[in-house]
Amino acid sequence: MSVRTVDVIIVGASLSAAAAAKRLVDAGLETIVLERKELPRHKICSGILSPRGHRFLLENFGPLPRETLHEPTSCRGVTFHFPSMVSMPMDFFGGSTPHLHRKYSDYWAIKSSGAEVHDRTSFAGLEDNGDHVLVHARRQGEPVEYRARQVIGADGPSSLVIRSIYPDYPQTIPWFFVGQKFHDIIDCPLDPDYFHFWFHPGLGHYTWSHARDGRQIVGVGFKRGDNFAKKHENVVNYLADKHGVRLQPHTEDEGCGENFGPSLINRYVFGKGNVLITGQAAGFLNMIGEGMSCALHSGAICGEAVVEARARNRPMQEMYRSMIASEVRRTTDQWNPLKIAFERPHEADFPAALMALGWRDRAKVLRDMWRFIVLYKEFKWGRQMFRAAMQRPLIGGYSMQRWL
Amino acid sequence: MGTPVVQPGPLGSYAVEPGTVGPCHVAPDALQGIKRQQTNPARWNGPNWDEFSTAVRAHGIDLRETIAARAAFATDAGGTAHGLAHGVVIARSTEQVALLLRAAQEYRVPVTVCGGGLTTEGETVAFGGVLLDMTGMSRVLAIDANALTVRTEAGIFWHSLAEELRRQDLDYLSAPLNLTSSVGGTLGVGGIDVNSARLGCSADQALALQVVTPTGDIVECSDTHNAELFQRVILGYGQFGVITEATLRVRRYTPLRMHYFYYASLATAIEDLQLLDRNDASDYSGILTIMDCAVNVLVAFDSTEREAAFMANWRGRLRGYGELGFGLRMLAHYALRPWKLGEAWYLLQRKRELFPELRRPEYMRDGTMFDRSVVFSRAVWKFWGSRQMVIPDLATSAAKFVEAVERGNAVCRKYFPRYTLYLVGIKLRPEHLAHYEMSCIPPDAEGWAYGCEFEPMLDGRAYSRDYLQSFKNEIYDIGVDMGASYYRFGGMMKGYIRRVFGDAVVDRHLALKRAADPAMILNRHVIF
Repeated sequence: MSVRTVDVIIVGASLSAAAAAKRLVDAGLETIVLERKELPRHKICSGILSPRGHRFLLENFGPLPRETLHEPTSCRGVTFHFPSMVSMPMDFFGGSTPHLHRKYSDYWAIKSSGAEVHDRTSFAGLEDNGDHVLVHARRQGEPVEYRARQVIGADGPSSLVIRSIYPDYPQTIPWFFVGQKFHDIIDCPLDPDYFHFWFHPGLGHYTWSHARDGRQIVGVGFKRGDNFAKKHENVVNYLADKHGVRLQPHTEDEGCGENFGPSLINRYVFGKGNVLITGQAAGFLNMIGEGMSCALHSGAICGEAVVEARARNRPMQEMYRSMIASEVRRTTDQWNPLKIAFERPHEADFPAALMALGWRDRAKVLRDMWRFIVLYKEFKWGRQMFRAAMQRPLIGGYSMQRWL
Repeated sequence: MGTPVVQPGPLGSYAVEPGTVGPCHVAPDALQGIKRQQTNPARWNGPNWDEFSTAVRAHGIDLRETIAARAAFATDAGGTAHGLAHGVVIARSTEQVALLLRAAQEYRVPVTVCGGGLTTEGETVAFGGVLLDMTGMSRVLAIDANALTVRTEAGIFWHSLAEELRRQDLDYLSAPLNLTSSVGGTLGVGGIDVNSARLGCSADQALALQVVTPTGDIVECSDTHNAELFQRVILGYGQFGVITEATLRVRRYTPLRMHYFYYASLATAIEDLQLLDRNDASDYSGILTIMDCAVNVLVAFDSTEREAAFMANWRGRLRGYGELGFGLRMLAHYALRPWKLGEAWYLLQRKRELFPELRRPEYMRDGTMFDRSVVFSRAVWKFWGSRQMVIPDLATSAAKFVEAVERGNAVCRKYFPRYTLYLVGIKLRPEHLAHYEMSCIPPDAEGWAYGCEFEPMLDGRAYSRDYLQSFKNEIYDIGVDMGASYYRFGGMMKGYIRRVFGDAVVDRHLALKRAADPAMILNRHVIF
């Protein structure tokens, strides 16, 4: 079996991988991206990219081709809905933002990065030997090997790269399931220009709906082990009762596991030795579950760290952790109650939308939000979030000691 | 079994031509104000490289393809963009540069020109293609002490030029603070000095240039000969030719008499600086700060007569303190604000390190500076710069300057615990208006433009490019908001060019560029 020797192997072909590959290829490093599926491949995602992520794509890969977008091509903002039937529409800062068709946007980005992509090639394990990493993979069932100076795990929440270096990690965090079903629309009063999110503990940990390609997506996230069909049916009935949304039975459905949590409590995973973890695999997730923009930025930082560490002859992990601190601040700030109360860490203005309500509705919203937050009590994140929030002004960031 | 490498598929090729501003399929109101333009270029993928390298070697050009040769130019002083050329050529002669550009034009191979490599946005970083290192052309060709001119190869650093001139008791007129800038690079972007308020930007001292055009023609140009090319090459960001030789105006060498005045307010210091500039009260003037706590207005004179006139007419009108007075004021200030003791300690440390350095007896005696090139390139740069130069800037009219600096200062405070500002005036030369069309000179400036560089003290810490870029973007956004301009105008911030100058001006220059450089090979990603 021949061994292909390159500078860097990236596992996964999503947006964080494309961003990392872009930095590495620009710097002249020979980079191979391993993707287990055949490209272009389907990806479960809302596709609502934040304006910051849009700017990153524009600056690094150019204007988005039409085929990388769903219909409607853009999303104006987010509408929060509460059990008390108060709704708060909030426009994104800087204007509308793309509704990405992940199958083609990811393909476009990874191709534009200039990296060599080996699709239908599954990561199977690695050995970090200090001066190089041996990567084992399977291509259409046959074993293949790569030898690289560094490996970047950009393979999403259920990361096989993380499992190869921290086999017990998946058992140490709570797992969620998020699923969405696609419905033809009979009547839908929900504004198609907005992404709709429900702070309703009776519906699920993460409940959303938005328009896509003439259909309505109804999605729900919950602790793994619960029943997707029942949860979904509950949401559909609620939308019909409370919002007058009338939908045909779903025609398609999909779902995946999510590592919702590390961003809230500053428990990111950045790897060890010559193996670096980035994107949602590392735990980056913005509020309302938008992970693409922080995947893009963390992926780019990961690529930069490899380049910088080589150029300065500094330890890889030290360089990566020092550079990624800014993205950690930006992401975890979004979950920091002090930041939410006194600053504007999000790309839409929640405090302004709240203040635009009458005082009765404001009180209802705060009460409903508190009841929703209590839903997460079992994960014991509250104290950890509080500690992180206190740390932020004292040390100017979040403790690196908590990172894996 | 073959490797299933992904080839350009059903979506076609995504290669973007330089200068392209794409359509927006997202929404008309998406990313308001931001042009649909890729600013971090894709690496050139090397078609025709083998034929090109064979062709240039046949001309006897030493094309270096070793990783060591190429890696030496992997980044610029900004340190945020990293690239790797396919090969490096060290410039040896004008004819060699012409041959190289002709071959590059024929085989459509990008050429990135690098002098001192002091760009901060990746303008001198090659994302593939050839890196042309101009420092190989660094000889002074002729000095005319009577006409007060020098003819020099353009790859020379300013400090080397100063050394040659000094032997004939001459000095350059104006050079950037960092004297490891090359003459050619400086003329291509502007350059400012603490005498720019009297003499204009460094590029204004150029009398004539020898230029190799993107198609490989060797052309001599000046304000009277091939004037259009001269106008485009001066402050032209390397788009219209490679400057291989330059004739510069020089002057008699004089030691300088320096005075420092200390302020606690940026606005007051700026008002006083502008007062001095308007009245031609000093030969040199500028502001260097430690954050916004210690604001230092420096003035200097070429003669004791000018110094005496300043003391008689202007000294009393300045609101700055002397060293002792300012020290006492700071003492009172921090005594009332004990929570800022860290800041006070930092200022004290800086004073202890910096002052002896600025007054070393090798070049400073009895208040007279005998070698400004050493002071500015060594002492000042040592303490105001760092290995990685992150220096976004704003250039405005005199009237808007205080607001621009104060807004930029607030951005610095938000992003970094320690930073410094460098502020200077730039005298505008009416006869050079054609040079300024797409430059650091804002269109509403009359008489003087004012520039401020905002430089964080990174202290060896590694920041992500995204963080540094976010900082720079916030500074640049102030410029867009206020109708200002910038010293540094290319590379990763090229998205701001259209926002500042408008599409009509940029498209006109782009059309000129395409006519002059049909294959768009020369510094192709710098501004378009």
